[in-house]
Amino acid sequence: MVKFYSSNDTYAYPFPAVTLAYFLRYPNPYSTHVLSTDTIARHYDAEKQQLTTVRLHLKRSKLPSAVLKLVPRSLLGASASGDTQSYILEKSVVDMRNGVMDTESRNLEWTGILSVIERQQFRRPTSPAQEDAKFWQGMEGAARRHGFLSFGPGAKVEDNGETTEVTSSVTLLSHVGERWKKRKAAEGATAAGAAEDDQQPQKMGFLKSWTTASLQRSIEGIGLKRAMRSQPNAKEGMKVVLQRMREGGLVAVLEGMRQDREAGLLTYGESKSGPPRRGGDGGAD
Amino acid sequence: MSASLAPECNEVKERYDNCFLKWYSEKFLRGTSTSDECEPLFKQYEQCLTKALRARGIDSMLKDAREDNRDNDAEHMKPRR
Repeated sequence: MVKFYSSNDTYAYPFPAVTLAYFLRYPNPYSTHVLSTDTIARHYDAEKQQLTTVRLHLKRSKLPSAVLKLVPRSLLGASASGDTQSYILEKSVVDMRNGVMDTESRNLEWTGILSVIERQQFRRPTSPAQEDAKFWQGMEGAARRHGFLSFGPGAKVEDNGETTEVTSSVTLLSHVGERWKKRKAAEGATAAGAAEDDQQPQKMGFLKSWTTASLQRSIEGIGLKRAMRSQPNAKEGMKVVLQRMREGGLVAVLEGMRQDREAGLLTYGESKSGPPRRGGDGGAD
Repeated sequence: MSASLAPECNEVKERYDNCFLKWYSEKFLRGTSTSDECEPLFKQYEQCLTKALRARGIDSMLKDAREDNRDNDAEHMKPRR
């Protein structure tokens, strides 16, 4: 049982700037609930010009009350009001040669309740007209396009009309009520591709009054609503970072991050006033 | 810059992040990089972080998650675009 949501959008910024903003998107005013971001693995393939990055984000989060009602707290490790912290694992691959960045984020905890996988693909547009324009711009155009990339105080993103396409999707999958680890192990012993339907998911005691399937559908539905609500905030967060880059280059981005980080520390545990506190990926907040 | 989950790693993380941003924006994005020049700094950062992840019991969670996710991918989540 899986729920799926996807959308397409265009950023009014060139592809290189968007990939940089992706790495620099936390913290931003829309994601002051992101407590930390660590790079846990990074690999550069010089031949393919591909950079693979695995990062771990820690977010302060609140479980949807609707989920709290459905699932016993003992399973969640959350406080009575649902406050908790959650780890999000993010993987990204930037392919400079083809002008594509693929990203995927997922929650590390509560995967027995609900797995939320957010994927994004950023693409440099490749319409014939644009390719043509690039050709005629020649070296001058290339230099201008890369102008914003210098790491100096004056470095800025220039508005040269270049855009980046993005496709976002969210996949929600609830395993609640399944003894799926056990099932998985059993499946591992048999041939791959064996019919899953043979093994009915088993219910836990507290779920007796629900059918497993309807409970999973409910939880996936709650997750889907939340994911759809969070998407605009994730996009706004990226746009704030890109705007800073355009106005003041990396220096402005880093200064903005510093301020947002302080704002995040100040609002820790306080009321939820100010900008929406939702970063966007992983969905496990 | 974003904070590390382990405050004791913040300093080495910041040194690495600065190196990475410079390399990424000046070389990688221009397609002129022949190697990841920040790898030595990453190793230092990684060393600190690995210790911190282990101390917090996150290392095993990460490992399990990444293994489970691979299985999930194969089982339920074939790429859909």
